[in-house]
Amino acid sequence: MKSVATTTVAAADSAGRFPTQSDLESVQGSLQRANARLEAAEKLAAGLDKVTQEAGDTVFKKYPYLKSAGEAGENQTKVDKCYRDIKHYLRLINYSLVVGGTGPLDEWGIAGQREVYRALNLPTAPYVAAFEYTRDRACAPRDMSSQALVEFRSYLDYVINSLS
Amino acid sequence: MLDAFSRAVVTADSKTSAIGGQELANLRKFIAEGNKRLDAVNAIASNASCIVSDSVAGMICENQGLIQAGGNCYPNRRMAACLRDAEIVLRYITYALLSGDASVLDDRCLNGLKETYVALGVPLQSTARAVGIMKACAVAHINNTSERKMEMIQGDCAAITAEAASYFDRVISVLS
Repeated sequence: MKSVATTTVAAADSAGRFPTQSDLESVQGSLQRANARLEAAEKLAAGLDKVTQEAGDTVFKKYPYLKSAGEAGENQTKVDKCYRDIKHYLRLINYSLVVGGTGPLDEWGIAGQREVYRALNLPTAPYVAAFEYTRDRACAPRDMSSQALVEFRSYLDYVINSLS
Repeated sequence: MLDAFSRAVVTADSKTSAIGGQELANLRKFIAEGNKRLDAVNAIASNASCIVSDSVAGMICENQGLIQAGGNCYPNRRMAACLRDAEIVLRYITYALLSGDASVLDDRCLNGLKETYVALGVPLQSTARAVGIMKACAVAHINNTSERKMEMIQGDCAAITAEAASYFDRVISVLS
């Protein structure tokens, strides 16, 4: 999985050389930026259930038709699954914040996403609304530092774009 | 291939839990001690050819039969192959040390190594001895206690030294 050091190591290995000064510099560069990412990951992990709840509630309030018969949230089981999916994406964002790249989101969330939603006849707009709400609701310094918030929002935007 | 960060992610994903608390504290420590790690990698990589030639020479000193007719380091062609292999092993150990995880060493170097050596008739015991000498050399370079002193900030390098030694031990245990 693409991460702080793996890209550098893979490049060094394909050239068959020991890690050079420039390899070490690039690893150090990503370590320096890591504290903000880890802060965002920590705050997100701590509030995962609450963030999921708020985002899901907002969506069902914004699109009340989702709970009508024949729609994606027609019964409690289906509603629960919507919340579960939102939480799933937030967990993958937590992972991406930790590794400092979109690897976990790409491999476990976005690959095959379009096909699955099409096959299950699920609308993606409510998910977009959920993550837009989360993105705009988060604020610094109440929730996390501004640098951490930048990192958090960039992954939320990445998910939103993948669903749009 | 994984590093310390993606290893935490893969572990958390198998439990479907988000990463927080203790795992994050470990990663913060990894970041805080990042410069020690980079210095350690630099200490090994900058002295790689010295570490490799010392270890192979030491292995031969202890077992002169290796460079007599019929020995596995005779003639030069086979000695060269031996030096090359020692360098490859050391290179993958530096990768593991840089990423803070043994997966690159396991997947790209150790997987099938013993079987290959058995098939080629390479003596495993001698190879393991050479790796053992490399370990001692590398540890000395990381701690800056070797003949050659490098310009480094002095500090407590026990953790990174132990980690580096564990990768050498991993190679030795695969070979034996």
